[in-house]
Amino acid sequence: MLALESVTYRYAGAPRPSLHDVSLELGEGEVVGLVGASEAGKTTLCLIASGLAPRTVGGTLTGRVLLDGEDTAPLAMDELAGRVGIAFASPTTQLSGVAATVYEEVGFGPMNLGVARPELIARIEEALAALRIEPLADRDPAQLSGGQQQLVAIAGLLALHPAHLVLDEPTAQLDPAGTAMVAEALAGLAAGGASILVAEQKTDLLAGICSRVVALDGGRVVLDGIAAEILADPRLTKLGVAPPAAVRLRRAVADANLPAAALARLEHALAAPR
Amino acid sequence: MDSARWTRIAIGVLVGAVVGIGLSATGQVWPLSAAAGVIVADVVYAGLSLAQTGEWGPMRVAAGLVAFAIATYIGIGFGDFNNPDAVDPNTFANTKAANSWALILTVSMVIGAVVTYGLELVQTGRLASLSRQFGTRTYLLMAVGIGVNVILGQAVASALKIPIYLDSIGTILVGVLCGPVAGALTGGLGNILWSYVIPPPFQYQPAAAFAIVAVAIGVIAGLLGGAGFLRPRPNRPTAELLAGGAVTVVLVGVMAWAASQAYTRIFETSIDLFPDPAKVDAIFVLLGYLAVALVALAVLGLFALLLVRRDLTAAYVVVAGVFTGIVAALISAPIAAGVFGGVTASGTDFLVLAFRQAGADVYAATTGQGLISDPIDKVTTFFTVYLILSALANRFKARFPQGEQVLEEPSA
Amino acid sequence: MAVTTTALAVLAGGLLGPALLTAVAVVVPAVVGRILGRLLRTALLLTLPIAVSVLLVNLFFFPAGREILFQVGPIAATAEGLGFALETLARIGAISGAITLFYLTTPPSELVLDLERRGVSPRIAFVTLASVQTVPALVERAATITAAQRARGLDTEGSLWRRLHGVLPLAGPVLLGSITEVEERTMAFEARGFTRPGRRTLLWWPSDSGPQRLARWLLVLAVPLLVSARAVGWLGWLG
Repeated sequence: MLALESVTYRYAGAPRPSLHDVSLELGEGEVVGLVGASEAGKTTLCLIASGLAPRTVGGTLTGRVLLDGEDTAPLAMDELAGRVGIAFASPTTQLSGVAATVYEEVGFGPMNLGVARPELIARIEEALAALRIEPLADRDPAQLSGGQQQLVAIAGLLALHPAHLVLDEPTAQLDPAGTAMVAEALAGLAAGGASILVAEQKTDLLAGICSRVVALDGGRVVLDGIAAEILADPRLTKLGVAPPAAVRLRRAVADANLPAAALARLEHALAAPR
Repeated sequence: MDSARWTRIAIGVLVGAVVGIGLSATGQVWPLSAAAGVIVADVVYAGLSLAQTGEWGPMRVAAGLVAFAIATYIGIGFGDFNNPDAVDPNTFANTKAANSWALILTVSMVIGAVVTYGLELVQTGRLASLSRQFGTRTYLLMAVGIGVNVILGQAVASALKIPIYLDSIGTILVGVLCGPVAGALTGGLGNILWSYVIPPPFQYQPAAAFAIVAVAIGVIAGLLGGAGFLRPRPNRPTAELLAGGAVTVVLVGVMAWAASQAYTRIFETSIDLFPDPAKVDAIFVLLGYLAVALVALAVLGLFALLLVRRDLTAAYVVVAGVFTGIVAALISAPIAAGVFGGVTASGTDFLVLAFRQAGADVYAATTGQGLISDPIDKVTTFFTVYLILSALANRFKARFPQGEQVLEEPSA
Repeated sequence: MAVTTTALAVLAGGLLGPALLTAVAVVVPAVVGRILGRLLRTALLLTLPIAVSVLLVNLFFFPAGREILFQVGPIAATAEGLGFALETLARIGAISGAITLFYLTTPPSELVLDLERRGVSPRIAFVTLASVQTVPALVERAATITAAQRARGLDTEGSLWRRLHGVLPLAGPVLLGSITEVEERTMAFEARGFTRPGRRTLLWWPSDSGPQRLARWLLVLAVPLLVSARAVGWLGWLG
């Protein structure tokens, strides 16, 4: 379980904190969505959850970040790397740049951690299989499409065998095809019981995989609850978040005053699983 | 910078100047006196710093510098530099000396580094200043730096036949932001890779021979960067700008004169400013003046920066560039002469030709060429690095080991 | 590794003068590796600019030249100059040949992994590989930006001045872009355990064989032997 307890965080040299008194829990097997406007603090929260803040990016953190009840403050980044994995929005900057094949790229993390060679190979193949990208194993990572590169990045994280995955707007820089690829992969991971914290503007994606959704505004948690409820909450739009298509459609239908029979059929269609 | 520090610097420079001039007045060879003066100045400054602030840092660097100088002096004694029998009567080039030169310098630099960091290890039990220079950011920046060195250096060497190199931008950037050892590693490793590992068309096989030059450049950049040379100093009052300009002109003039003295005394030739057109081909004289014009233009361009942005750092950039350039020239000239006969298939060859035409031997020709090309090149490079730094966000720079030293000082 | 040693040995050997000897050390492995044609072509291409410069400079401007071969206007070509030029060319050819042989037979990744296996720090290994990678990456990025700019009507042909003018807006995004990327890449790297001290597991490394090891040791031993032989004066006949 990954928990943030009353975390307030200020970047080095920043006049004000980016997160105020934020508390969040990510349990085993839970998929939590993180929504909010552009500067609401989603990225900062992801950086803190993964340990990059304050270690790699500097800044001051008050409050506690706990992994399975253990305070992570004395842990170094390389110790945390194997416990929480983080993926970012840009597909190209996450690549190591020194791997000739996807196979080596996925292995980059566990190689750094000194995992024994037989285990290393097992992990790579497991990660490739989990994301169904075995056909890409011999390709040059730099030649892949954005969506494929993002999948390779996530596979690289899986190979670290982390207890939790943190994804900071993984589809932000992808075209619709790439977004669909990543969304499908995430759905597969979620179904497989992974513990994921995913920050996204695309609420449709979140609606499909999250059990819980947390909304941030101005560095504070303003909403935290069951996904379906939060995503249908009317306050979302005021926070700068576009609700999922289904929610918008339902509202439009409710406003349109349709006859009861048509309404019932529509409700039935919307409630049907994708 | 507070006035106490300025005072210490001034005293150091004064004592150093006295020692240097005194030595040469008693008949010592010029480069020796100049080097002795610089070292004494640094030791005095370091000593004063220690006495006034209790900081050991400058003292350790000074100790390393002294060790380097002594090692080089001893090494030169072994290297047959002044042995007339070792000189090839055909080319007047001393191949054995050229080969040993790089070796001597490498060994001396290692000795200097061992003294500097050894002192720290003995005194504090750790090598904090060394390990601080290296983090993930450093390694990533080094990779970019080496790449930039290779691309720009190769472009200039093979495509644009102008007498500058532009192959040190990466080295100096890493040195300034990360530290002297990081900069040295960028330069050294970069040159070796450039020769052996980078595939054509970017491969430049002569580069490895000059690796020691790149190392020196990286060290100097690191030390100057750490001392805050590239810190922006905008919006200074006119009086300060004029003072800065004057000091720069004086310093550059002194360095140029010292370099020319070294040139004439070592090689026992005289620099003929207006050679007899019957003896020397006019085209080379013309090219020579063109090169000098380039120098003037570069310096003027920087003074323009001074005036427009009222940025005093332009003066620091010029001084840093000229100093680094002269050191680089003096180190690389024997290598160019002894290993390549002065010809490296770059735009500098015509300058070497000009000097050869005027009657100088290979050794003197490459030194002369270097003393013109290198300062121009290094001033341009430092200027470029300064421009790059100014385009980077403060938050980004601050996270580098020496990043704080390139940020503007907060207004008091 | 055998090839690196060849390069080193040739470097030391070439500077001593016996270029003929070292040419053998280069040509024989090339024939064995069936790359003699490629080797000759690449090496020639690389050394052509240097060769031309060396030839011209020394032929015409050799200070101790006395025996005049022919004259071009006021400049005279000398026999001593030609001799020195040929000597230098032989040396350069040997060095260049060895370096080219090395480059043609050893992909950088193999070299670096082998070094890492023998104890070089993984971080230095990384910098080496990344630097080699950066060169084509930057060029490609510049090409992409140039294409985009051309699509927007920027003039990329024409006089030198105009092309220079077109290059400058390129420098910004390419150069600054790759530098600012360092921040994001640092985060990605540290999140993948890059900061862990010590060695890392290697997926694969190039194989070493008996004959290769023997050849390596022979070449390494040859260097001090040649140096001492030269010092003693035995190799005077090679010039």
